[in-house]
Amino acid sequence: MIDMKMLKFKKGLAGTLIHIWLIISVIICLVPILWMLSAAFSDVPHIGRVPIIPNITELSLTNFEEIFTYRSRSGQMFPDYIRSFLVTLAVATISTTLVVIFSSLVGFAVTRFRFRAKKPALLLMMGLQMFPGFMGMIALFIIFRVFGWLNNPFFLALIYVAGAIPFNTFIVRGFMRNVPKSLDEAAAIDGATNLQILVKIIVPLAAPIMGFIAVNAFMGPWMDYILPSILMPNNETVAMWLFRMNAPDTQPHEPMWFMAGALFVTVPIMIVQIYMQKYVTYGLTAGAEKG
Amino acid sequence: MEFFERLKKWIGKQSRRFVFFLRNKAVGFVRGIFRFFRAIVLGVRNFFISIYKAAKEHPKSFRKGLMSFFLMGLGQFRNKQWYKGGIFLGIFLVFLIVEFVTSDYIYAPAELSQYPADDQLYFFRDYGGIITRGIWGFFSLGALSMGDAYRGITIVGEDARYSWMLADNSRTLMGEGIIIAVLMVVLIGLWIANIRDAYKTDLRIRAGEKVESAKEWVRSIWDRNFAYIITLPGAILVLFFILMPFLFSFLVAFTSYDAAITLRMDLIAWETETFTDVLFGGEPAWRSFFFDVLRWTVFYAILSSVTVYILGFIQALIINSKYVKFKKVWRLILILPWAVPGMVSLLVFSNIFGGTHGLMNNILADFGIVDNVREFLRTIGLIGSPREEGNIQWFTHPDNANLARAIVLTVNLWMGFPYFMLLITGVLGTIPQELYEAADIDGGSAPQKFRFITFPWVLRATAPVIITTFTFNFNNFGAIYFLTGGGPRYHTADVPNALRGIEPGQTDILISWIYTMAFESGDHDAYNLAAVYSILVFIMIAVVSLYYLSKLKSFWEEDD
Repeated sequence: MIDMKMLKFKKGLAGTLIHIWLIISVIICLVPILWMLSAAFSDVPHIGRVPIIPNITELSLTNFEEIFTYRSRSGQMFPDYIRSFLVTLAVATISTTLVVIFSSLVGFAVTRFRFRAKKPALLLMMGLQMFPGFMGMIALFIIFRVFGWLNNPFFLALIYVAGAIPFNTFIVRGFMRNVPKSLDEAAAIDGATNLQILVKIIVPLAAPIMGFIAVNAFMGPWMDYILPSILMPNNETVAMWLFRMNAPDTQPHEPMWFMAGALFVTVPIMIVQIYMQKYVTYGLTAGAEKG
Repeated sequence: MEFFERLKKWIGKQSRRFVFFLRNKAVGFVRGIFRFFRAIVLGVRNFFISIYKAAKEHPKSFRKGLMSFFLMGLGQFRNKQWYKGGIFLGIFLVFLIVEFVTSDYIYAPAELSQYPADDQLYFFRDYGGIITRGIWGFFSLGALSMGDAYRGITIVGEDARYSWMLADNSRTLMGEGIIIAVLMVVLIGLWIANIRDAYKTDLRIRAGEKVESAKEWVRSIWDRNFAYIITLPGAILVLFFILMPFLFSFLVAFTSYDAAITLRMDLIAWETETFTDVLFGGEPAWRSFFFDVLRWTVFYAILSSVTVYILGFIQALIINSKYVKFKKVWRLILILPWAVPGMVSLLVFSNIFGGTHGLMNNILADFGIVDNVREFLRTIGLIGSPREEGNIQWFTHPDNANLARAIVLTVNLWMGFPYFMLLITGVLGTIPQELYEAADIDGGSAPQKFRFITFPWVLRATAPVIITTFTFNFNNFGAIYFLTGGGPRYHTADVPNALRGIEPGQTDILISWIYTMAFESGDHDAYNLAAVYSILVFIMIAVVSLYYLSKLKSFWEEDD
């Protein structure tokens, strides 16, 4: 009997300790996020004075009003923040469309055909992923200036597409390996052309992985700072705007606006991320990591 | 304790394997280079031998090839393949037309008589089209800068009567040169294909075979090269936006391009000095600082990957344990840091710690424990300065490098552990229950079950991700740049003159240092040095990744 009691006590103790640990972790996880919320809805003049727990009675929308109306140049059609939002939206939309098309083409070629340049090409793509990307920036800057592409969202999107292809090739390859080949072989016997097989059979089969790729491609531009900071000097993206609000040496230096602006784009991104959590195990095959 | 012994052994074994791999690969690498050059030499020899043979054995077919050699498409016309010849000729004409349209050849005679060149004339610089001028520019990187006397006039920066009176912009010339070089490779490839085709088709005609019609030709290209054709758009993008910039920055490492160069006022030159200096001699500061930063980079990459892995593992085990109710709720809250975009969390944290009146300092002051905390941090060695008073300078005091580094690692832990928690939770679900049941029958305790079943299983499944996390963190620009901006700075006295203005901060990892060196050092920007360093980073990352790839069998499997 005493043994049973001991056991129960031990179990209770373990349960309590585990819950204490969990509660502490949850608090640590939540504090910075809560503070961001709190700051976004606060009108305290100095950011260091914003309380951690949002003060429900003193909620204020000042920061949001400011960012949705502030124009750095008078006569600008859209306020800076809205403008950067639209620019990023354009980049994200273009790059998503092209990434899905090109990645499915390349992935199809790599998984369903044997061709001589395949292995060197795969190795090359592996290698390209290793090079610190922005060292090509000087070159990209020059190319963009020579061709007059600076500040043009379309060409920025093209870079994202090119950057996504090597990685996506491996993702698609990993996925397509598990899709039986018998289906497209059967179609080929029935006289379907390669193009028909691709459009009618492969694309529908690969829809889940294409969704994953599309979401990734869409989210990328929102938080990329380095590329646009050099290639879009007069056509800010959201990430540039966020960074600028924080940098002490640029005008305006408004960390409180940053909190509001960041919250505005973070909430949708968070929802998507949480929904996408089941795809995390793709990391096992492809080495996906959040940037 | 036994566990740590085993871990130590395991790490020892892995590092021995890695060194063995390196030694093996070093031999293989040298041999590979030899083979590569031998293959090139042999290839060139065989190429000429085959041409010689073709000329001797089939002189008539060879003559058709020769026609295509002199004018693209001519041999095809003689083969009566009008469509093919037309296409080849068309491609050739496009190149020619582009060259002429962009050139000033027609103005050359008049201007040359008006402004005669006494001693030196750069004809392609002055009048060449995009191709000839591009090739000239690539090799010379420009010849004339502002103020030079040339053909009786003085070279100016802007507002010139003729374009050749403008100073050369070495950087633009280099960029255009690389674009032209790539186009030339394409043209030469087509040209060789065109010669071969003319020759081969003639052989077939003479052998009495039927030559395919235009429709058949297109059809056969479409079917045979379908894989290439559908990869083409993606390949062109990768070539233009990834490969070419890569090539460019590789070449920049071999130039004199630094902040001392004012474009148009000065010319960039090809030189290997910076590269060899960094590796073998020259300015010692370049190497000593490089190794300082490298040491911290490796330390940061290893520790940040290991800590997020361990904490993620613990959290996954805890949430999975039978004592925890509402698993989904706990998990949902714990993955929130992962769901917030990295850049946003890093900027929020920079607001928490940054400045002397950030949130952290204010909270400590409200509780009245600033001094206690400072003393505590000093005791454990995070605060170096013995005299510091007032608010804690998390990221700004030169003596507080360890403090800033500790915070960088902690913030990374906050951001990174949920990913591994999710990943490992997924892996835990794949462990067969029979293993645990068998352990129960043998009377295994919970720690034993963890050590012999759970841990090895999870480690094997997640090993590739640990490696990619390592390489990711090695190049995790944002984790440093957005959080500390590289700070705290070094004491000014410690910075050698050669690095004034491009010195790293004390939390800078290689990648963030390279970025500031190339783009944010104003009058001190050193593109060539940055390019040299990024080549070194590339080599290091490549070695680790190759090692990882060599282990990853699935990569080498054929797709059947």
